[in-house]
Amino acid sequence: MTAPALSITALRKSFGSLRATDGLDLDVRPGELHAIIGPNGAGKSTMIGQITGEIRPDSGTIRLFGEEVTAWTVEKRALAGLGRSFQITQLLPDFTAEDNAALAVQARSGSSFRFWRNAHRDERLRGPARAALAATGLAARADTLVEDLSHGEMRQLELAVALAMEARLLVLDEPMAGMSVADSKEVVDLLARLKGRLSILLVEHDMDAVFALADRISVLVAGRIVASGTVEEIRNDPRVREAYLGEEDAHAGDH
Amino acid sequence: MQLFIEQSLNALQMSFTLFLLATGLTLIFGIMGLINLAHGSLYMVGAFVGTTVALKSGSFLLGVGGGIVGGALAGVVLELAVFRRLYAQDHLHQVLATFGIILFANEATTLLWGRAPLLVEVPGWLNGSVKLMDGLSYPVYRLAVMAVGAAVAVGLHLLVVHTRLGMLIRAGASDRAMVAALGVDVSKLYTVVFALGAGLAGLAGILAAPIQSTQIGMGEQILILTFVVVVVGGVGSIKGAFAGAVLIAFVDTLGRAYVPGLFKLVLSSTVADALGTSVASVAIYLVMAIVLIVRPEGLIPEAR
Amino acid sequence: MTIMDTPSSPGALRRLSDSLHLDARKYTTIVVFGLLAAVPLISAVTGDGYIVTQANRIIIMALFTVGLDLVLGYGGLVSFGHAAFYGLGGYTVAILAYHHENAEPILGWASTNSALVTLPLAMLVSGLAATIIGWIALRTRGVHFIMITLAFAQMIYFVFVGLKYYGGDDGLILNARNTLPGVNLSRPIPFYWLSFCLLTAVGYGLYRITESRFGMVLSGARSSERRMRALGFDVDRHRLVAFAISGAIAGLAGALTVQEARFASPELLGWMKSGEVIVMAVLGGSGTLIGPVVGAAAFILLETSLATLTEHWMLILGPFLVLVVLVLDGGLVRLIERIRR
Repeated sequence: MTAPALSITALRKSFGSLRATDGLDLDVRPGELHAIIGPNGAGKSTMIGQITGEIRPDSGTIRLFGEEVTAWTVEKRALAGLGRSFQITQLLPDFTAEDNAALAVQARSGSSFRFWRNAHRDERLRGPARAALAATGLAARADTLVEDLSHGEMRQLELAVALAMEARLLVLDEPMAGMSVADSKEVVDLLARLKGRLSILLVEHDMDAVFALADRISVLVAGRIVASGTVEEIRNDPRVREAYLGEEDAHAGDH
Repeated sequence: MQLFIEQSLNALQMSFTLFLLATGLTLIFGIMGLINLAHGSLYMVGAFVGTTVALKSGSFLLGVGGGIVGGALAGVVLELAVFRRLYAQDHLHQVLATFGIILFANEATTLLWGRAPLLVEVPGWLNGSVKLMDGLSYPVYRLAVMAVGAAVAVGLHLLVVHTRLGMLIRAGASDRAMVAALGVDVSKLYTVVFALGAGLAGLAGILAAPIQSTQIGMGEQILILTFVVVVVGGVGSIKGAFAGAVLIAFVDTLGRAYVPGLFKLVLSSTVADALGTSVASVAIYLVMAIVLIVRPEGLIPEAR
Repeated sequence: MTIMDTPSSPGALRRLSDSLHLDARKYTTIVVFGLLAAVPLISAVTGDGYIVTQANRIIIMALFTVGLDLVLGYGGLVSFGHAAFYGLGGYTVAILAYHHENAEPILGWASTNSALVTLPLAMLVSGLAATIIGWIALRTRGVHFIMITLAFAQMIYFVFVGLKYYGGDDGLILNARNTLPGVNLSRPIPFYWLSFCLLTAVGYGLYRITESRFGMVLSGARSSERRMRALGFDVDRHRLVAFAISGAIAGLAGALTVQEARFASPELLGWMKSGEVIVMAVLGGSGTLIGPVVGAAAFILLETSLATLTEHWMLILGPFLVLVVLVLDGGLVRLIERIRR
């Protein structure tokens, strides 16, 4: 049996008296799209921070494709195949869309201690960058500065960057947040196309997207996973419905 | 032994001077996020204005008042004219603008007072020494400075813990946005905090005047020490400013007193002299470097 | 209308204005270097030797400033201790000259007066110092970084003040400039050409560096360190290398300045010097390669012209700096760009 893309065991993190992560266990199978839902304040940011390496857990282990990465730096995990999108987009504003994607390609193509060759004209970087943009529908915006992109386009670019860095596990931090219905549909279609090519951990509030995309859903409450299963299982779980999916019945009529 | 006690007392007195300066600087940086390189200039203004008042009026106490008021006034003017516009800017721009103010302040002082240092003597009623123990007499004035410093420390503690202004200061130091959300007139708060810090700097300046000479450039020398104290103590923390001031003052004073001697034990006299003083001056920066590596948030950081 | 229906004309417009931007900078570069190259000719025609000395000082400070800007403008790190590297480069040359003039061996080796040895050695010493200091300082961010770079510069300053053997506070005088085969550096014009060529070479080198993969990482980290780490870049290591390169360039500038004046003093290491070079970079336009050169020229010319007006010229310079910071967004070069649009 191949190792899970992501395996978290007994993860704990406290900030003073606040137990942000309180014994969290989670598995993401290779190739699956695993969604995390949960009420505000459940500890999603802290969980993501520990997965990516920005926050050091107090105890517990994190495994990436079978390898223990709990003590690894952010950079090291990225090079091992962990990609992420940021909830507040962390794109480089004075670079173009293509530049951003090219940087992602650059990170994986050898040393960046190259001081002479012009990176803007390096086809080995630009080619894959343009391909990633095309895959996310941004080909026409390749030469646009990030600060001139629309909100939705920035989200798409975050995904393009993740593609360009050839992530094997993609952690998406609320990619639909603040998006219009039309834009959300674009992103959902895009993620549907990516499913299977790589493993995805999707942290989201948008239930339509979650139910449309997820292979499995886990519910995060107060720093731990309280329920985990298929879309149907979670939808019908009375505890989850009661605590969290209050509006579920209202949505049921839309599908 | 007497030397050790004397040097320690000197260090203690220096601690209070540094504390007066560091408190202002740490509050200004902690609450307004402003790197104020011109803080030393406020110290200088306090010394010049205070000395002039003391000489003209014949009363040192009036001079002290003059120093405090002079510093506070200069601070408020600068705050209204320049610093207000710097709070929102990045560190680089703040460094540059305050650097420009130093140049201006030094030149303006030269214009008004000339290049020669200004001298003021310790007032008669504080003159002389007190016998502390066999073979050790200590200047009364320095003890007085320590007393004033201690009184200010106590006063600040009461202010911060027991008054509304103090509450706002504590809140502002740990969460600027929250203070604004409380509906407080943030601009006025900033001006008040600035006036407080500037007044303390002016006080430090006039108190130092009889001991050191009042001259152009005195601000820059002590400014760097003050920054070291703030960084070591913890930005935004008054308790940190106190702890940092004591640590830095002691390391510097005792270092200068004993390191050359220690070096003489192992090295030849000339080499020891040359290296000893260098190492002594370098000691406090080494302390800062170590603190920054081991405990970057400072000795007593402001709780977040 | 979906996100994919956006027209491409904004992109084309941006490309056009981008090339306009570059033209403004290329234009400025040609004008500045053209003027600098013309100085010896102008001096020969007018018989005024002072202009060569002034221009030489501008070139040397421009070298220092453009080296700093790699770290400041491209790296986004405010180093308030760069004078340390400047001064170390200068003192390397001065100490080598001292030992050479007094025929004293230095650490067992005979000293030399050859610029082929002294200048690279100066760069090596300051580059090494920058690597050590950078390694410690880069463990911090923001105001702590500013303070620790300042502190290290102060440390080195005090070491040299205490070094009475090499003049201490009074400084060290050099009897003669270094030698270069076939070139008489003791004459102002040949020395001027040496400085000019070094500035041009370093400037071009930095141009290649900032457009290279390495430069991309540096610039990217300035915008978002988080993003760069999340992509897999070892940001700290890249910054350290940039710091070392920047220090070496500052050391070269320091070496040239000591050669030019035939004098070295701890003032080279002072924090005022560190502040001045930051001023020059920002005044000219930080993060544009020609900006620091323009800034150095503007600052020195302003300083000298104000000094002739009044003894208290700093009274004007001070508030001028404040105004520049508050009003001039992005420095002179970006102002030129805006005017050209």
